[in-house]
Amino acid sequence: MDIASSLAIVTLAALIHASFQLSVSVLTLLSGHAIGAKHSQARVMRLTFGYVSGVGVMTLLALSFISLIFLHLFGHDAPDIIWAIACGLLVGVGLAVWFFYYRREKGTSIWIPRSFARHLSDRSKATKSGTEAFSLGLTTVVSELLFIGAPMVISALVLIQLPAHWQLVGIAIYSVISLLTLFSIWVLIGSGHKLSAIQKWREDNKGFLQFAAGGALAVLGFFVYVCKIMTDVSGTLL
Amino acid sequence: MAHEEATSIIKRQGQRPTESFSRNKLHQSIVAATLSARAPEGQADTIAYAVTNYVLEWLESRPEVTSHDIRVVATRHLRAHHPDAAYLYEQHRITL
Repeated sequence: MDIASSLAIVTLAALIHASFQLSVSVLTLLSGHAIGAKHSQARVMRLTFGYVSGVGVMTLLALSFISLIFLHLFGHDAPDIIWAIACGLLVGVGLAVWFFYYRREKGTSIWIPRSFARHLSDRSKATKSGTEAFSLGLTTVVSELLFIGAPMVISALVLIQLPAHWQLVGIAIYSVISLLTLFSIWVLIGSGHKLSAIQKWREDNKGFLQFAAGGALAVLGFFVYVCKIMTDVSGTLL
Repeated sequence: MAHEEATSIIKRQGQRPTESFSRNKLHQSIVAATLSARAPEGQADTIAYAVTNYVLEWLESRPEVTSHDIRVVATRHLRAHHPDAAYLYEQHRITL
């Protein structure tokens, strides 16, 4: 797989990651509590920036960690069976996202364990400092691993094939693109947009977001399967 | 107020211990929701006062209610005063 194709796969995986909504929900709650507690706009921005930074750092660490494990296990090229499992995982998670991502009720509740959701909700209310917001960001990424694990695994498999400096570029691309949604919401909150309008948009469009994320996961799984496994197999036969 | 002391609130379908109704707690939560909708502080306080009074009236004949019931009644009245705040108040438990 050439560098351009590899980075394209990492970019698509990061876009799929960005379309998942748990971190956006927590950011909405966190800013709602901060504004409701009569904090100044500067403090609201500091708290929310701390949170966005936490999510960014944890995403970077998680992807680096998965890549490092794969590098130790498989060297620079994972066996085809691992690629096939990763493609199956992408399609499986894509189907699961189509059917189960949002709970079938009003609002934007998603299928994560309720104890995680309650913990995140309670922490978003209790968060008073930038450091706490940062650690809330770290925790949110861990809670979302069930869904973001699949795009991270495929990105890690792609990244370990690249030369060292391109691996760093790939990790940076993934981290920045996966933060795009969160960063956009942060800018909207900073520019004084109403939280109710943001939440209403998310609620009205949750079906589309769910369909897009699930569909993109399945497409990515199929694309990587054709691009890597079919090419390897046909190369062996020829 | 007599009914304020008498009414018990069942929280999270009984998963948390039952509490007595607290007017102040309800008032603060409505103020917070209204401020989150970018309303000025004075307006938030006035609205919270009015909505809390409605809820107190509704509670008069009820010795035991759930926290969900209170949220539904408060949201209904809050909607008349500030629809955006009512939306945020209603969404609070169903955002995550």
